[in-house]
Amino acid sequence: MTTVLKTEELRKQFGDLVAVDDVSLEIGGEEITSIIGPNGAGKTTFYNLLTGVLEPSSGSIWLGKEGDLREITDDPPHEVARNGLSRSYQITNIFEGLTVRENVQVARITHEGRTFDFRSRAAKDEELNEDVDELLALTNLTELAETPCETLSHGEKRNVEIALALAIEPTVFLLDEPTAGMNPTETREIVSLIRELDEDIDATFVVTEHNMDVVTDISDRIVVLAEGAVLADGEPREVLSDERVTEAYLGSEA
Amino acid sequence: MSIRDESIGDRIGTFGREAIRNGWTRERFVLLGLLGLVLVSLGPPFQVYLFTEFLIIALFALAFNLLYGYTGLLSFGHAMFYAGGSYGLAIVLRDLQPHIADTIGSGIAPLVTFVIGGLIAVVGVLLLAIPIGWLSVRLEEIYFALITLAFGMLVYSFIIQNPQGLTNGTDGIIVTLGITEIGGTELRLGDRQTYYFLTLAVVLPSIYAIWRIVHSPFGTICKSIRESPDRAAALGVNVTHHRWMTFIVSAVFVAISGVLIAGLANVASPYHSHWTTSAIPVIATVIGGATYFSGPIVGAFVYLYVRWGISRYPVLEAYWEFFFGVMLIVVVLYFKGGAAGGLVLLQAWLLDVRTAYERGGTSEAWAFVRESAAEKQRNLSARLSNLGRSEPSEGAER
Repeated sequence: MTTVLKTEELRKQFGDLVAVDDVSLEIGGEEITSIIGPNGAGKTTFYNLLTGVLEPSSGSIWLGKEGDLREITDDPPHEVARNGLSRSYQITNIFEGLTVRENVQVARITHEGRTFDFRSRAAKDEELNEDVDELLALTNLTELAETPCETLSHGEKRNVEIALALAIEPTVFLLDEPTAGMNPTETREIVSLIRELDEDIDATFVVTEHNMDVVTDISDRIVVLAEGAVLADGEPREVLSDERVTEAYLGSEA
Repeated sequence: MSIRDESIGDRIGTFGREAIRNGWTRERFVLLGLLGLVLVSLGPPFQVYLFTEFLIIALFALAFNLLYGYTGLLSFGHAMFYAGGSYGLAIVLRDLQPHIADTIGSGIAPLVTFVIGGLIAVVGVLLLAIPIGWLSVRLEEIYFALITLAFGMLVYSFIIQNPQGLTNGTDGIIVTLGITEIGGTELRLGDRQTYYFLTLAVVLPSIYAIWRIVHSPFGTICKSIRESPDRAAALGVNVTHHRWMTFIVSAVFVAISGVLIAGLANVASPYHSHWTTSAIPVIATVIGGATYFSGPIVGAFVYLYVRWGISRYPVLEAYWEFFFGVMLIVVVLYFKGGAAGGLVLLQAWLLDVRTAYERGGTSEAWAFVRESAAEKQRNLSARLSNLGRSEPSEGAER
């Protein structure tokens, strides 16, 4: 297993509350890892630490391809993104006022380092739009390219979210609750999309998810967080039959 | 069909449609527009003056909107860059004109000094905007508005203080553009017509430049920051840095409009740096519609011409701010996209009227007009009865 993302004793404290408690994880390049845990287990805080939105109280984060890891602990969010860590949000976060095409253009412009390009015209730039078209096709959005995002359905917005995250060609792609608020059909669609993408794209997927069917369906490995610490880590069947895991879920949700 | 073809209205309509179909391309419309702009110069001097002022305020508001409508930052201190432009020009004209005349001869000196003064003013504002922008973009929303307001008033009090006689205190600096002689012909730069064309020659390329910026990859990133700064950052956009650069670009174009206003008003006045001047682009943009590129232009037009209309009635003029207040309230309440948005709606409505006319002639069109007017009235009364409640009812939107 080649590690692409590693945390060493990562810790985040808010006053007396320990939200993430010395988490050390190594995530490998070929598998889909799910991070699960009851509400308040620290999943979102963990994501926010990884992406540079929050500063860790202690510990370190490392990211890189083919075992060539770089420390990104103190990098701000945009540096983290440029280093290859991309994310989607639990509450869909896209550029609502722009069209689907413009949304993906933003990501491509950044990725190609052309944010200070004044001379070209975004709508007519062939090089840019070729890449955008490719991504739209990959995420089943081709027909919606010129639609303003505020008029899309929830499921379609999810696809835009994924297109955005993929557009910066990440090493690691963190999906935060990709099926939150979706109906069963939309859920099936997004799961099969994630599966397809995992086949097609050279990125490592890390997923947090509430829906246990989805988790068992797509994961090669499950990490269970409870009260900010790693409770269990391993193959899905093994982890889900672990008594402590059931207890953590029932104990906190009952 | 044969009878209706006789009516003048229909003939004009047909002519227009045919013209568009038969190659009334954008280039030709642009030519027509330019011809209109030339015709304006033949109007009475005051009208030429007013239209020149409109062009300058339009550029001021467009540059402001680069930061507001496109990047999502409401600056309340852009007057400092406006004043920077006007004082830059005025100081160069006052202090350097004799030296320039000595070097290159007095004939062409006034024009050359104007150009040099303009350039120095813009570079000066650039140097001012770099540190002020760097500090301001660290804040967002209301805090950004407040810090820019504070910087603006700092510049205002600096000008009022008259450090070492540089700014001439509350009187401001008189700007004399002088008479340029080129190859025997005299050119009075301060002449209304001449200055109008000079303004056109500066403002039109500036508007085009801003249009290109808005549609460039740089502008696309600006819009993404307006929509969701944290999302943009998660895609690798350095949000603070990009805001800073937009701030500087915006300031530079405001400086250009400031240079032009000093030449038009023949004075660099402390009023140019006062916060009430900062409010002008804000009002123009809100009236015109921040989400449309042309919004600030339309807004500047409405602002100046409504003001002019009011000024012709002394009774109204005493309360012109009151009328602007009413106008702002109406726009904010009923026109989500401002006047430019209103024009777009009007265009769509006219197309609907035409469709109705083509379907069933005048009676059908008239019926449609009455129908939509009645609907507007219903919506209006629904709105009014909803005033005071927190959420307007659905359907009252249009």
